[in-house]
Amino acid sequence: MTKARQNDDAALEALFEVDRAAPPEVPDALMQRVMADAVALQPAAPRSVRKSILARMFDAVGRAPAIGGLVTATCVGFWLGVAPPDGVPDFGAVIMGVEQDVFVAELDGDAVIWFGWDFEEGEADG
Amino acid sequence: MADADPLAALLARYAAGDPAAARMLAAAITPRIYAHALRVLGDGAEAEDVVQEAMVRLWRIAPEWRLGEAKVTTWVYRVVANLCTDRLRKRRTVPLEDTHELRDDAPSAAEMLQQRARMTALEAALQSLPDRQRQAVVLRHIDGLGNPEIAEILEVGVEAVESLTARGKRALTQALADQRDALGFEDD
Repeated sequence: MTKARQNDDAALEALFEVDRAAPPEVPDALMQRVMADAVALQPAAPRSVRKSILARMFDAVGRAPAIGGLVTATCVGFWLGVAPPDGVPDFGAVIMGVEQDVFVAELDGDAVIWFGWDFEEGEADG
Repeated sequence: MADADPLAALLARYAAGDPAAARMLAAAITPRIYAHALRVLGDGAEAEDVVQEAMVRLWRIAPEWRLGEAKVTTWVYRVVANLCTDRLRKRRTVPLEDTHELRDDAPSAAEMLQQRARMTALEAALQSLPDRQRQAVVLRHIDGLGNPEIAEILEVGVEAVESLTARGKRALTQALADQRDALGFEDD
């Protein structure tokens, strides 16, 4: 590289340096327009709504399907308590001290044998 | 590395609705692309339009921006370069007088005058270059970008960038040759 060429490059670099050191100021009006566009075009942030205790319990249980199951199970349980099927001890009546008639089917001895009852009890038909 | 691009992270925050991210992105990008557009176009009003349009495109693409794919600045510079090229194609003459205001923080009046003279001369010489050479020289020597990034921005090969900047510098030197004394380079 010749000396003249080196001088030219140095002079040019000095000019670039001056330009780099004094960048133009961005006009305020431009910055305001840029920010207005940014706000107008920004996607909405996902909303975080503070939920009530009841709503949070509702969520914790599992929302509507789970609540439906719970209600059904509660109703069935209540009904079994009020009107138990034949053969199922009425614990409600026992707790309340109400006497109840117990119907015990007299089982035929042979039938019991089929269930192995006599093996447990020995002389079941005797 | 594109993955570590802090502006890409800001862009993701902007897309997620963070208003502070918009301010930080605008503050980081707008001055750079405004300076670039002003140097390339030589017209303040046109540079403002280009910058606003480029930033609108950035805001719009934010929700679809894929981290690690490109640097945000490279993408924005490319948009600005294309917008500038479109505008330059539409006109034949460029007003050389419309140079930007200098900051008044020069240490002395004489130095300030000389700096002003140098900047005005550079602006005028830059405007005399062919459009692509001017863009390449500004990106390389004033914006300080590397040749591979400039190649991405101008959508040409690295060799083409080297050729554009070399020819641009030779043309600038020639354009400024008769002003060396006036710009005080005999003393440098």
